Amino acid sequence: MLKGFYALILVLGPFILPGIINRIKAIWAGRKGPAILQPLFDFNKLIRKGEVISKTTSFVFRIAPPVNVAAVLFASLIIPLPQHNAILSFPGDFILFAYSLALARFMLVIAALDTGSSFEGMGSAREITFSAIVEPAFFILVGSLALVTGHTSFAAIFELLNYSTGFTILVKSLCVISLFIMLLTECARVPVDDPNTHLELTMIHEVMILDYSGSDLAFMQYAVGLKMVTIATLLANLLIPTGTGTAAGLALYLVVLAIAAIAVGLVESWIARLRMTHVPQFIFLMAAFSLTAFAVVMFLIHGGF
Amino acid sequence: MITLLTGAGLFLFGGLLAIPAKKQWRGMLFIVISLIAQFFILPPVIKILYGSPVISINLNFSGPIGNAGLLVDPLAAFFMLIISIGGLLAAIYSAGYMKMYRDDDRYSLGSYYFFMGLLIAAMLMVVIIQNALLFLIAWEIMSLSSFFLVTFEHRKEEVRKAGLYYLVAMQIGAAFLLTAFGWSAIQTGSLDFASFKNLSIANPVNATFIFILFFLGFGTKAGFVPLHTWLPMAHPAAPTGVSAIMSGVMIKTGIYGILRMLLIFGVPSPWLAWFVFGVALITGLLGILNAIARQDLKEKLAFSSIENIGIIGLGIGVGMLGIVSGRQLIALAGFLGALLHIFNHFTFKSLLFFGAGIVYSKTHTRNIEKLGGLAHYLPVTSALFLIGSLAISGLPLFNGFIGEFAIYFGLVKGLNATGGALHLTAIIGLAGLALIGVMAALCFTQIFGICFLGSPRTAWHNQPAEASPAMLIPMAALAFLIILIGLFTPLVLSLFWTVVQQFLPFSAVSVWFELYTIYEKINRALLILGGLILFFTLLRWLLLRGKSVATFKTWDCGYQAESSRLQYTASSFAASFVEMGSALVPRKSVVESSRELFPSGAQFTSDTDDVTEQSLIRPSISLLQKTLQRFAWIQSGKTQQYILYGLIFLLILVIWIIGVH
Repeated sequence: MLKGFYALILVLGPFILPGIINRIKAIWAGRKGPAILQPLFDFNKLIRKGEVISKTTSFVFRIAPPVNVAAVLFASLIIPLPQHNAILSFPGDFILFAYSLALARFMLVIAALDTGSSFEGMGSAREITFSAIVEPAFFILVGSLALVTGHTSFAAIFELLNYSTGFTILVKSLCVISLFIMLLTECARVPVDDPNTHLELTMIHEVMILDYSGSDLAFMQYAVGLKMVTIATLLANLLIPTGTGTAAGLALYLVVLAIAAIAVGLVESWIARLRMTHVPQFIFLMAAFSLTAFAVVMFLIHGGF
Repeated sequence: MITLLTGAGLFLFGGLLAIPAKKQWRGMLFIVISLIAQFFILPPVIKILYGSPVISINLNFSGPIGNAGLLVDPLAAFFMLIISIGGLLAAIYSAGYMKMYRDDDRYSLGSYYFFMGLLIAAMLMVVIIQNALLFLIAWEIMSLSSFFLVTFEHRKEEVRKAGLYYLVAMQIGAAFLLTAFGWSAIQTGSLDFASFKNLSIANPVNATFIFILFFLGFGTKAGFVPLHTWLPMAHPAAPTGVSAIMSGVMIKTGIYGILRMLLIFGVPSPWLAWFVFGVALITGLLGILNAIARQDLKEKLAFSSIENIGIIGLGIGVGMLGIVSGRQLIALAGFLGALLHIFNHFTFKSLLFFGAGIVYSKTHTRNIEKLGGLAHYLPVTSALFLIGSLAISGLPLFNGFIGEFAIYFGLVKGLNATGGALHLTAIIGLAGLALIGVMAALCFTQIFGICFLGSPRTAWHNQPAEASPAMLIPMAALAFLIILIGLFTPLVLSLFWTVVQQFLPFSAVSVWFELYTIYEKINRALLILGGLILFFTLLRWLLLRGKSVATFKTWDCGYQAESSRLQYTASSFAASFVEMGSALVPRKSVVESSRELFPSGAQFTSDTDDVTEQSLIRPSISLLQKTLQRFAWIQSGKTQQYILYGLIFLLILVIWIIGVH
């Protein structure tokens, strides 16, 4: 029953979340905006189409979309549904989570290089450079949570984290900010990347999938949406207190997903994409917040260092 | 023991036979004899790894050697396994690769196979011998035979230079070892390793210093920063079969030495654990950063070996921290991670070097900026190279992840233990290892993407064609091992148990079971990942079935003059990242452009320097030279002066004798 619910979220969420973001942006700009399910309609259209593939490409370009989707979907199975156990859970599971996202990224990057286009090379260089900041920061973040709870799997960490009070509220809010920056970076949103930009020179994720069409493009876009759902689920796990009750918890989970999408939409409406040279500084903020969380945890446990 | 020694002898015998053999038969002969050697070496070695009693004999020599033991315990067996398989694969590969030198009278393939056989035999002896003097002899034979292999193309100036640099570095390392062994021998009065064991208990302070000397000596061979500078010079100079065996196998004998000393000395003082941990972390980070910044394919792989030695060192450091803090699970995870990574690095680094050799033999360049699009010409090589790249980046489904997971797990368990220092170390280790992992991914997307994908950046004289089976078979065998360990971990994990057990001062069966269960869960999860990939690949095929799939040129934003030189290069791919670490990889760029109104030609060159080489090794060498220059007057070249020295010496001797009596 719960697994079915989560499966439904994993199938529909990747379309609805970008739909909400686009709708929020439209409303803020005074437009009516497309239907919330528009990304699903686009997907449906794309998988019915044939493809145009660059003659420069090799087998890598063809295997990358399925591997990319599979790896991100696999990562989402490691994240627990709030207050419940994950489908795949074991001590140290967050390591596998981070590394399956890395596998997806690896394939995305070499597929972009496979086209031999300098724009796609540019995008892939940026993607992998920025991830070099995100990944250590993520390990510091989860490491701090493991330290404060004494557990090493996502499910156990969140269960214990949400029981305790006081200091942990501070830690949690630092983690929420940190994860939100991760969401913006990993899912290629403003201020790191602008999915609506019209110039290849300024893109990151969109330019990497520039040469994809048809069902391959559909796979790639679904993977990005799925990544957003996955990280938003992590946020929901942080925010929903243990003992909320199953029905209320699931309702709250949906609310958190919606709020995450609305927040992304508002950020995109309020601020412009940063200059490319300033993006690393923005992502370093994630490392800074994670380190602060670690410092607070150390203070909590040892009363100092 | 006799069978094992016969196996080692067979490698040497094969090398010797290759000298008088006919040109065309040399390679084949060496392969056959190496293959026979496997039957002597592998069965007893695997039996020991599965828990058979250790094999040992004691020889008593008169004179300075004294009691000399030969011991094949699980640790030695583990390394013999790697050396033996690595030797065979390098032999097979060489038969294909060395063809380009076969009809070249300037180079002798006979000596190549002789020194290769000698190198393999010496490495096998290094891990067995338990006597300081004999050990050093085997160690030197290993260093010298590899020196002759590195300088195979001795008619090239840069090869000779690199070879000499390598030889000097090895002798500096050996000097550390000589001092350490000498010190221990003086303290215990014996050259036998077994007698060194008392040293730790009798005098822990001395033991600590001796351990550090050993670490420096063995670390030079392994390539720990700042003693790593020979690696990126020797590897590009050596023929590829040799680079593979040096990087995949030989530098591991340095790690073997450190592990052996750890077995003998234990952890004599707690801060040694932090020392090893810190050096390893710096090694990992600096190694991969340099690998990213370079353009020479084999230099990149050499720096990546340094990085992987750092990861292995991190595992050892975590294991030592576990022992020091008395946490069984941390110690187990650390050492298991180190051992797994030793084996894993052997598989993927040999594979990658073999691949690099194929690229070199087909295109005659190692500069990756000149390559591109090889996936169209060398489809099998590139698929195998991709497997190696994914594995070395530590990605799930492949063996790199399995080893790194254990180290990560040890660090995470450090967070659950008590102690502020341990917590801080664990977080630094987690972030550091994650950073190393991402940088490795950057490095290998760069290498694979620039060499094999896109379109060729320079025109080739003759189109590269797929390599011969002799070169592809060893790569395929290694890829098989990579996937076997990556996807069916529980099958192979028990091979490591007996080795890991040696390092744990307690019975660790229960924690082993705990870790084993986690690996079983990971394995199940990874099979799901594999299933998902298959599912989506099938789905893609189903969706595209019966639809038009057209091919067209890459979208170029409407730009008319498309050219393969417009592609992103390796340097530009890494530029934004290298800039962030520019303090550690200083980049020199020279722009030459004409200042005319209509500039026609311009040139841009950029080069990166190894910061340790530049600011530590070179200054200390020039300091040494300056100091020694002051004594140069002693050696004036005048015979009369030398006779005077003799007279003065005799005079002093006479005075001394009179004074004493």
